[in-house]
Amino acid sequence: VSTRVVAEAGAVTELGHAREAHVPEAAEHFESVEQQEHAARLGMWIFLSSETLLFAALFALYAGYRAMYSVDFLAASHHNNMLIGTANTAILITSSFTVAWALHSVQHDARRMGALSLGLTVLLGMAFLGLKIVEYLDHFHHGIYPGSHYRFAEMPSHGAKLFFTLYYFLTGLHALHVLGGMTFLALLMWLVLKGRYHARHYVALENGALYWHLVDLIWIFLWPLLYLAG
Amino acid sequence: MTSRPHGGIRYVLAWVGLLVLTTVSFGAAHLALGAAAAPVALGIASIKAGIVLVVFMHLMQTNPAVRTALGTAIVFILLLAAGIVADVVTR
Repeated sequence: VSTRVVAEAGAVTELGHAREAHVPEAAEHFESVEQQEHAARLGMWIFLSSETLLFAALFALYAGYRAMYSVDFLAASHHNNMLIGTANTAILITSSFTVAWALHSVQHDARRMGALSLGLTVLLGMAFLGLKIVEYLDHFHHGIYPGSHYRFAEMPSHGAKLFFTLYYFLTGLHALHVLGGMTFLALLMWLVLKGRYHARHYVALENGALYWHLVDLIWIFLWPLLYLAG
Repeated sequence: MTSRPHGGIRYVLAWVGLLVLTTVSFGAAHLALGAAAAPVALGIASIKAGIVLVVFMHLMQTNPAVRTALGTAIVFILLLAAGIVADVVTR
């Protein structure tokens, strides 16, 4: 154990912080750190499952309205820019890889690589939101607004209005999750640079990565529903 | 340094696989698949989701309690969507 601590202290010094690596103690109501981390992980997964149920309500509305207005939904989805949608899919998939790489690096005490990968993930999140803004502006330009503000002359049908209203709710809610995830990951990047997480203590980073993967998972289904309807 | 020495390569392969599936889905969207278009696109999306869950999120290494929570959520989502669609199409 002592050589391990020395090695970790060395790795911290390398980053300019001459102090020992932070290893947490279990809180009073846990028997061990392992049990505490298990609880943290399970809590995160239950939180993620409840997040999917939040989106599920909108997905179910989409399924119902698409069954009712299938022709309008197809026509409206063709108006969405498939290239932007596909680029954003590739961006989020790549960011899922970089956040997995960040966790993998920290688990192997490569903290600088971990922080770099987290930074890259945040930048990819920004690129995603940037393209989303370009897309929203184009929609506004055409008079495509949600709900009763909808005035897209080319597609005046009730079904198209419902499609775009759902489009705004689904992508808007998702974009808020992207923003939240980016904030969380930027904070984790700062803590990784400070030497807070390392090979023996990384459950918070693991949970941050899980959250970001969920953001990716939701987009994996939004892309075919909103851009590739057929 | 101790667990899964080839973990990094698995991530790279998963990333490449996801990009390939995205390209396949993009290509399929340009074919005249008709009624099959949506099932094909959602089928590919489900495979991609499986890769993210298993490789990036380490689903198989998680505790059974985690898989129960996730499995329940997925079943409820499918029930909700199926119930609403069944209502709409049988009116």
